[in-house]
Amino acid sequence: MAIQGLQAVGLGKRFPGIIALDDVSLHLQPGQVMALVGANGAGKSTLIKILTGYYDSYEGRIEIDGQGVQIHQPKDAARVGIQAVYQEVDSVLVPSLTISENLLMNQLVTIPNPLLSWSALHRQAEAVLAQVGLDLDVRRRVEDLVLHEKQMLVIARAVSQQVKYLIFDEPTTSLSLPEVERLFVIIRRLKAQGVGILYISHRLMEVSALADEITVLRNGRKITQFPVAEFDFARVSEAMLGSAIQDIYPAKAASPPGEVVLTATDLTRRGKLKAVSLVARQGEILGIAGLVGAGKTELLRALFGADGLESGQLAIDGKPVTLTTPRQAVQQGVYLVPEERRSQGVLLEEKIRQNISLPFLSQFSRILGLIDQLRERSHAVNLIDRLGITPPNTEAEVSNLSGGNQQKVVIGKWLTGRPRVVMFDEATQGIDVKAKQDVYAIARELAHSAAVIYAASDIDEVIGIADRIIVMHDGAIVAAFEADAFDRNLILEYATGTREKETHD
Amino acid sequence: MTDLAPSASIPPEPRSEHIRGLIYDFIIKYGMLVAIGILILFFSTQNEAFLTLNNLLLIARAVSILCIVAIGVTISVSVDGFDVSVGAVTGLSVLLSTSLMVIWNVEWYLAILITLGAGLLVGLINAFFIIKLRIPDLLATLGMLYLAQGAQLMLTQGESVFRGMFNPWATERVQTTGDITDAFKQIGQGFVFGSEGFNGIPIPIIIMLVIAISVHVFLQYTRWGRMFYAVGGNREAARLSGVPIHRVRLLAYLLSALLATIAGIVLASRIGSGAIRAGDPYLLDAVAATFFGFAVLGARRPNVFGTVIGALFVGIMLNGLTMMDVEWFFQDFIKGFVLIASLAMSFFLVKRTR
Repeated sequence: MAIQGLQAVGLGKRFPGIIALDDVSLHLQPGQVMALVGANGAGKSTLIKILTGYYDSYEGRIEIDGQGVQIHQPKDAARVGIQAVYQEVDSVLVPSLTISENLLMNQLVTIPNPLLSWSALHRQAEAVLAQVGLDLDVRRRVEDLVLHEKQMLVIARAVSQQVKYLIFDEPTTSLSLPEVERLFVIIRRLKAQGVGILYISHRLMEVSALADEITVLRNGRKITQFPVAEFDFARVSEAMLGSAIQDIYPAKAASPPGEVVLTATDLTRRGKLKAVSLVARQGEILGIAGLVGAGKTELLRALFGADGLESGQLAIDGKPVTLTTPRQAVQQGVYLVPEERRSQGVLLEEKIRQNISLPFLSQFSRILGLIDQLRERSHAVNLIDRLGITPPNTEAEVSNLSGGNQQKVVIGKWLTGRPRVVMFDEATQGIDVKAKQDVYAIARELAHSAAVIYAASDIDEVIGIADRIIVMHDGAIVAAFEADAFDRNLILEYATGTREKETHD
Repeated sequence: MTDLAPSASIPPEPRSEHIRGLIYDFIIKYGMLVAIGILILFFSTQNEAFLTLNNLLLIARAVSILCIVAIGVTISVSVDGFDVSVGAVTGLSVLLSTSLMVIWNVEWYLAILITLGAGLLVGLINAFFIIKLRIPDLLATLGMLYLAQGAQLMLTQGESVFRGMFNPWATERVQTTGDITDAFKQIGQGFVFGSEGFNGIPIPIIIMLVIAISVHVFLQYTRWGRMFYAVGGNREAARLSGVPIHRVRLLAYLLSALLATIAGIVLASRIGSGAIRAGDPYLLDAVAATFFGFAVLGARRPNVFGTVIGALFVGIMLNGLTMMDVEWFFQDFIKGFVLIASLAMSFFLVKRTR
């Protein structure tokens, strides 16, 4: 009898100068949940892209139930019953159309009858939603839905198209705890219906709760695979990272923190920030933990003058300041490494040199604003060297750099100035482990002379890097933890809203 | 990426791929310049008079007004904006400068200063629409196109301006007494560095060169130019890097309107009168020149050198076609065809090589 299920044999994918995936084999059986874990850049996305027909050419072969199948474009994958639910659900939905229209897009374009029966369409859509246990008005527009509803919609659509193998790519990144629970219910239901599920995540807790089998990728290679019964947190992290987990974070501050540099009092912005107060001291890294959407980004942007505030006061070195534009913040030595590296951090089409000098161009200017290119270049050479940016070429266009190197350029921009407060927002998203380690090391180094604020939705990362932690939930600070008193579970409970802020009378 | 499988070998590019890459590179970088070379060679085989110094200077003079307008458009595009009011502003400048002199008897130099001031005002209003009212650039300047055109018509109640015209604002039928003086006409008609058997270099060319060189230096070598391109490349990233994006965009629209106004003054001086809607044709040609410029030396971004080459290209093409007795009604079509070809060169091929 032929082997049942989806088999990937020796899959590989090369890009100029990079081997993204190297000889990876995988066997996903119907009704099985296979977790695929690995650090960023491990090859998870490349593997999914091959399976869903994103790439035309790759090494290796794909078989279903022992039969070889050709997958070279998305419709090939759909034909053999492979579908994916990506992190970015917005890119596969049309926001201005209704739920019905989005769900039945395929039928809409191939329908033989030129006249649509809307009532029939809506009934059909309701039936599809019922399959995944979703109760939504199918006449609503997709743009009015919240993220997890959109995600459910994408799942429902896949189910309606006779999906046999469903791939989830980091589906819980932006979900709250109850939403994650609902997602898991649906995944288990699909599993019971015999759908094979490939579940990609770097959240190991989820993986251990959901998966039957766990496969670990690192640097494009399959490192190990084992049943969930053998799950062991340390073992998986070590397989993912290639080194024991403690190694990637620098040592915590040795001496007690110095002077208070930044004081924020009752920062408020409607619906985003609720009377947030904090102090940041020189010599320490203040970690901000919280889920996506908890208000971390809004807080940092407010401190940076990037968004307006309804009320609240800021002081630097004890002197009150008003920051209404990032320019004013930069002049005060308040710098931000923003959340969206490519769209907010770098100028993709400019060279490394030009990106690095941008915030402090006047330092490189002579009479009439003419730029001293020699000085600019030697400065860039220094920073490239100090940060270990590759390629070590001041004239390389930033769009050609890897995510980690782009992030180093963003950070390098600020090293030209005189930092008083340096803020990092999800600074290690989408970059490889080595680059992460470098980013942590720079943050620690900066903390010697400035106050560093480090926000991330990955709680382990915040615990690893910070000397002191505040937890945000729903736009407010709900808890604070001093050094030596970090309690991972407690932080998680505050972050997810399971535990509420304690009120002191 | 250094930690990615360092031991695995990466297969070298096949030889044919490599050669194809080199050819693409060459076309992307020098295609535009080669095309101009071919154009000049072709026209000079068709007509002996084409490749003479005097004819080339004639082309250059004809092109210099277009160049000035196009450099303005280039500045607006460099901050990821788009100023489509330029042709109308050029026309307004023609009418305002001449009518000040003819109808209101203003001295020529004062007329120039007032016109330049009005041009800056237009740029300021454009910037207000775009930055403060947040109207998208194209729409705001489209509105300004109509406003400037309307202002142009209202200024003389739709009359063209010429010496001895009847004063449209007088209650009785009286002739105007002002004049478009020779000093003013020198700007568009004069020559410098003339000698025996050589007319000299037309002053519009000098004005154009001064502007082209200054704006080129400004955009390429000063920190302001750097900030212009930063805002054009990614406004949010520029803002989060502390670039004063509002000031940059304001300055871009001021410069764009100012250059359109200067072009109008040169144009008025060259034709020696204030013809209604004389500026209109410059808009499309200036936009074309700016986008031609994307293809020059593979810049893929607005740049003054490219724009000047682009304007020359348009000018050479039109002059050559005219000398070959190609009917005027073919010319727009040919222009469109060549524009698409050059844009394909800069965008399609570049994408292929990525």
